[in-house]
Amino acid sequence: MTQDPNARAQIEPTEVGANAAEAGDRQLTAERSPETPDAYGSHEIGVEGLDFATLAEQGHTATMLDPLAPAVLSVDNLKMYFPVKSSGVVRRTIGHVQAVDGISFEVPKGGSLGLVGESGCGKSTTGRLITRLYKPTGGSMMFDGHDLAKLSAREMKPLRRDVQMIFQDPYTSLNPRHTVGAIVGAPLEVHKIVPKNKVLPRVQELLEIVGLNPEHYNRYPNEFSGGQRQRIGIARALTLNPKVLVADEPVSALDVSIQAQVVNLLQDIQTEFDVSFLFIAHDLAIVRHFCPEVAVMYLGKIVEIGDRETIYGRPHHPYTQALLSAVPDVKQAAVGGRRERIRLEGDVPSPINPPSGCRFRTRCQFAQEICAKVEPPLLQIGQRHKVACHFAGELGSHPATPVTTELLGVDDQGSPVAGATPSNTQLTIPGYEDTWYDLRTKQTTGA
Amino acid sequence: MSADTAGPETLGSLSTEPEHQDPNSQQAKEIAGKSPMRIALGRLAKDKIAVVCAVVVLFFIICAVFAGPISAAFGVSLETPLASERVDGLNQGLPKPEMGPPNGPFTMEHPMGVAPRTGEDNLAYWLYGCRVSLLIAATATLFASVVGVIVGLLAGFLGGAVDKMLSFFIDMFLTIPFLLAALTIAPIINDRFNLSDNYGTIQKTALIVVLSIFGWMGTARLIRGEVLALREREFVQAARVMGMPTRRILFKELLPNLAAPIIISISLMLPTFVALEAGLAFLGIGVTDGVSWGQTILKATNLTFFREYPQYLWQPLLGIVALVLSLNLLGDAVRDALDPKTRR
Repeated sequence: MTQDPNARAQIEPTEVGANAAEAGDRQLTAERSPETPDAYGSHEIGVEGLDFATLAEQGHTATMLDPLAPAVLSVDNLKMYFPVKSSGVVRRTIGHVQAVDGISFEVPKGGSLGLVGESGCGKSTTGRLITRLYKPTGGSMMFDGHDLAKLSAREMKPLRRDVQMIFQDPYTSLNPRHTVGAIVGAPLEVHKIVPKNKVLPRVQELLEIVGLNPEHYNRYPNEFSGGQRQRIGIARALTLNPKVLVADEPVSALDVSIQAQVVNLLQDIQTEFDVSFLFIAHDLAIVRHFCPEVAVMYLGKIVEIGDRETIYGRPHHPYTQALLSAVPDVKQAAVGGRRERIRLEGDVPSPINPPSGCRFRTRCQFAQEICAKVEPPLLQIGQRHKVACHFAGELGSHPATPVTTELLGVDDQGSPVAGATPSNTQLTIPGYEDTWYDLRTKQTTGA
Repeated sequence: MSADTAGPETLGSLSTEPEHQDPNSQQAKEIAGKSPMRIALGRLAKDKIAVVCAVVVLFFIICAVFAGPISAAFGVSLETPLASERVDGLNQGLPKPEMGPPNGPFTMEHPMGVAPRTGEDNLAYWLYGCRVSLLIAATATLFASVVGVIVGLLAGFLGGAVDKMLSFFIDMFLTIPFLLAALTIAPIINDRFNLSDNYGTIQKTALIVVLSIFGWMGTARLIRGEVLALREREFVQAARVMGMPTRRILFKELLPNLAAPIIISISLMLPTFVALEAGLAFLGIGVTDGVSWGQTILKATNLTFFREYPQYLWQPLLGIVALVLSLNLLGDAVRDALDPKTRR
């Protein structure tokens, strides 16, 4: 008997991995015997007698992009600077941590936007700005005709029903002294939506939606596992029927088997309640599965934003390429051999005093003089693809000369050319324009 | 030796159908969750020292609450008798032999004997002294902990200028020497109210106020520290995101999590105040009308009395030691019961 678990399922070793499962390549030949304990919890309905591909199709395939969906939340030039105070008696402000420095994006209705990036690049700050845990320094966040950035705490209260948040750590996001019923029902009481005696049925309904036993409303969080606690957190976020859910690394504190359950639950919720997600994560595989659109952040700025296929298949920004090359690949491991990996040297620069020009230039292998002088604009280079780089190009074919010189009216070293007027007509807007700048022809083209 | 020995038969008992329970059945209703507080109480009940101490404390509380009925049951009272009936003026004012120890046998009429010189009944004074002691300590603890908790909550949660101001007040009150302040206040109160009808009540109220004013800082600091830690936990942010008003966050989200430090600080404050009350009464700046353990000790420390009639000193002393010791040990046990796993 061989030790290889794949041998029984008769799959080629090259097909092992999530990609094979997604594509439906894998065929399970072994019949599932009814005694086999299945991976589903007792609360989920297992599907019997189907092969894996059909099952996967019925279950949770990667979320698809709806390009025509209107934006439910549109963030424009959002900024958050945290003051740095000097020590001493008179505490002067001596600088600012530019946690988020002018980012623009759109969250489509019923869709989800993934926000990825290194630790400390401002992902979580963005999430907290949208839920107004912080008041932004500048920019606007248009939601339902209101600018969330300018509302006072009192004006914000009714809108809080529509913008909710799922937190990272299920162990600290639930009050250990409250029962599950009190935790999930608290939003109803705060907003006085339903009479007191109607709270419990709603709580039980929500617990059932997230796959927990509704009779467990009078238990305390310490009696639940990490995954179950995260479900409670999701139920609480759903209580008010929100339109936008900010999921701040909702699965990174869970172990891998539970991550899948929770992500599937989030997908079910999305299809059922038409909730839009801003999905903040650093796990690229989960973002790929969950988000048809992805934005990559570096040091408080969006460096590349686009649909899933573009970002994962044809990334144009050196940082995105480095991020993707750092992901371990099961397929590659099965084949053997080494993969070329782009290694980023050094640390993320301090957001108090970010590098001039392009913020990534200190760690970028393509950086030239222009990168220190001129900040690259977030240029739309495809139908749904924007990138902020002077040398944007696919891996291995980065151009030798900056692609942005004509647009910005500068020469190759980044010095302004006398007489040349910047021809960049693109303004950084939250969504996408109908026309874009083609990198090969260096012309503005349309669809 | 081999994996074959663990066949399906040996595992049979494990793989049987799990008992399926109707979620609406009575049994399911009974498995309602245990709150962290109930878990702590269960742990406390298993602690033998805690149970013994709780019984002792309960005994003192019963003595204090039912001081009147108990005295009546023993047929004793606080009334000052005609001293010559009970004490022997020729024998340094010690009780007559028929009044019980030290010169006579135990008598049911005065179970704890009578005081020298005045002939007042010791049991009645002990019971009412217990009442005064517990009343003052409990009231002062209540005020001090309420003030401490509110100041700590506000300072910790609001931060910034509020925190700085409140922390300044905490530090300021900590710098004032307690005994000096008490010694200064006593003559002022004395001078102002000694002609008043309810001088005794005013004296006790003043004592409670003094004890509370100098007792809240410890709790405030403790709570402030806890709140600083709790404030950063995500459930507070979750409450903010759902639009919960600050008052509700403070009292509904944070306060239940502060139960442990509050109970601990109360359990340590109570014995301190009991001892302080007796100490102040001994110095003559607390209760001065005689119905206090400290005042009894003051009278009993007369050298002649201590040599001839040590029981007179031992009675209030034993009361104080037993009460303070059991309150302290109970407080320790409560802390142990609450501490280990409240972070779950």
